[in-house]
Amino acid sequence: MSKALPYQDIQTIYFAIAAVVLPFAAFVINFLFLGKSKLSGWVSTLAILVSSVLAAIIFTRVWNVQQIHVKQIWFRIGDSYLYTGILLNNLSVLMLGLVSVIALPVHIYSTAYMKDDAGYSRYFQYLSFFCFSMLALVVMDNLILLYAFWELVGFSSYLLIGFWFDRANAVQANKKAFIINRIGDIGLLTAIIILFNQYQTFDIERLFKEGGLIASSTIKNGLWISADIQTPVIWQYIACIGIFLGVAAKSAQFPLHTWLPDAMEGPTSVSALIHAATMVAAGVFLLGRVYPLFNPAELTTLAVIGCFTAFMAATIALTQNDLKRILAYSTISQLGYMVMAMGIGAYATSLFHLVTHAFFKCLLFLSAGIVIHQIKHIKEDNNLDIDPQDIANMGGLRKKLPLTFIATLIGGLALIGLPLTSGYLSKEGILITTYEWAQGKGDMMLLVPLFAFFTSCLTAFYVARMLLKVFFGDLNLQFLNPEIKIHIGDGGWRYKAPLVFLALCSLFPFFSFNPFLHEETWLLYGFSAYNSKSVFDIMHIAIPVLVNGASLLIIYYAYMIYMKRSTIVLPQSGLLYRLSFNEWYIDRFYNRVVVKFVLVLSDMAFWFDRKVIDGFVNLLEKIGVFTAGIASWFDRYIVDGILHLSAVIVQAIGGFARRFQNGKVQYYLFSMLLAVIVVFILKILIWN
Amino acid sequence: MITLADFMIVSAVLFCTGMFIIVSKKNSIQILIGVELMLNAAILNLVAFGKYDRINNSGQMFALFAIVLAAATTAVALAIILNVYKQYKTIDPDKIKQLKD
Repeated sequence: MSKALPYQDIQTIYFAIAAVVLPFAAFVINFLFLGKSKLSGWVSTLAILVSSVLAAIIFTRVWNVQQIHVKQIWFRIGDSYLYTGILLNNLSVLMLGLVSVIALPVHIYSTAYMKDDAGYSRYFQYLSFFCFSMLALVVMDNLILLYAFWELVGFSSYLLIGFWFDRANAVQANKKAFIINRIGDIGLLTAIIILFNQYQTFDIERLFKEGGLIASSTIKNGLWISADIQTPVIWQYIACIGIFLGVAAKSAQFPLHTWLPDAMEGPTSVSALIHAATMVAAGVFLLGRVYPLFNPAELTTLAVIGCFTAFMAATIALTQNDLKRILAYSTISQLGYMVMAMGIGAYATSLFHLVTHAFFKCLLFLSAGIVIHQIKHIKEDNNLDIDPQDIANMGGLRKKLPLTFIATLIGGLALIGLPLTSGYLSKEGILITTYEWAQGKGDMMLLVPLFAFFTSCLTAFYVARMLLKVFFGDLNLQFLNPEIKIHIGDGGWRYKAPLVFLALCSLFPFFSFNPFLHEETWLLYGFSAYNSKSVFDIMHIAIPVLVNGASLLIIYYAYMIYMKRSTIVLPQSGLLYRLSFNEWYIDRFYNRVVVKFVLVLSDMAFWFDRKVIDGFVNLLEKIGVFTAGIASWFDRYIVDGILHLSAVIVQAIGGFARRFQNGKVQYYLFSMLLAVIVVFILKILIWN
Repeated sequence: MITLADFMIVSAVLFCTGMFIIVSKKNSIQILIGVELMLNAAILNLVAFGKYDRINNSGQMFALFAIVLAAATTAVALAIILNVYKQYKTIDPDKIKQLKD
């Protein structure tokens, strides 16, 4: 640390580190010591409870008070120092608080929800690890560690989505989520590399603060000019596209949104966490961190993509029959709103929507979890062959599950954005800002607020459809199988307490004392630096009135369709219906084109590998064998031949000499005489 | 006058005869006779060269010694032959091959 910090700031930093590390400690304890124990759930819950208390303390100390940034050298490569540290600013502490506060009810809920599951302890290990990754992601001060935890969030979500790994669907889903997230990760990594090349630092504060490195760099004459480096402007576009890919993959934006509906294969409590605070929020959080990087044109693109995603997801949600799938598409739709809000410059409103959405979406998922759990009970008690998530089987649960009904109602109204809920405040903020933004941009851009408005109406319809089909009317199961016995209820306090808490947080007083004016929300003042100053005019009243009026009409229309059956129902075979029901054929398109293309490519690579590379290797092998054959022949006939020849010669000589040793005394004498005579003859010959 | 050369010739003939008998005969007794012939060739030389010695008749004296010794060795050799016969039931040296390795 370069300069001495006041004692309280150091304490805050330690609190932040503790808040991040506690879930990890819970993961380690569960992993090492509590193999199958039911205690593991409470260890994780305790860790996240302490984390959220610490996060709340940090929040009060940092929010709108000061920014704390400590760092120290991590390692050095050449002349580049890499720092690691913690950056606590308004965005970090908001996310820190949000993640831990959302994770707490999910943990409590999970201790009850997962109690009969064989993988209870494993579940809490993953859950703690997931929370740790996300908490670390939001407080890191450099892009390298941000990226590392970004990957860990993806990895731990992979583990959780595939929690029931013995189900083929879950395995498919987590593979899909992982692969799509990898695409985003590559984008983010590319962007980080480009940024480092341009600015020689990974430090988020230096890069992105007001008047920081990015703010002071310009684009001129096709060059991207920063303090000392000029590069072609194309790199700036690539960096932005990379960041967008990362955001699109994590926050499920078109065209990388298809993993999110499939991620429903995980336990419902995990879906609640993924959809509310941890996984999908990471993308929007990243946008918030690197916001100054985007120039106006890129922001407009972002707004259009967000708007399209919101609209597309809403249309898909209209016709889905799977309870969790409806909620998943509503999440994609709301994330589209957030990205769109980022694109139009409503930075604060976007984050505000992220926070409100986290609460009510978590609430909706936990309620859906209870509903599905109870339907599953009916299914198991009566040996029915039904899909417990199919809303066609439900109905009339209002009386059986009163608390769940109220919670879902509050969550649903917040999702539609009706007054008195938190969703109203943030959504109207986005809609009004979108309208104001589009006014100065020409007619084409008016389509964006128009579609946002239309999406809001669609939201009203599908939420109403879901609520009516699940909670009103009569239980369809009982209608189809009159003999079944039903005894279900809201469940114990571990189900009820999280619902009550989240339902309270989804109401307006938590964010603003004025339930009708989003401008008075405390949260928006935290990010005033980026917020476009808007003039209060008639539209600020007209748009909410218009949107809510339309929403109410549409809810009434849905009521007429599903309850009274008096209005004309749209045909279930039209082109639009099929488009919506089949999720715009995007998945099918990916399977037919992208996946098939990759498979064909792999097949070709496989063929190439087998025929060419293996062929080459085999050829080498044959050559090797042939050479070895020659060497072996040489060895056997030449080298060994010489040896054998010498052996034969020695043997022959030996045999010859042996003949003199035949044991006959006279022969010895004869030999001796012969030798003497030879000596004499030789002597005579040499002398003469 | 009989010269030294005549003695030498007789001696050489005797020696060669003995040698021939030793290497060619298939009976150990005949070989022993050959050995005696060669011995007598040597004794004849001893006596013939004794004429040139400073002491008179020393050659003849040594010849007598040698004859006595030859008789002794012949006795030993005959004893050996007898034992060989006991062992191998033959005295043909070609059939006794135990010296072979």
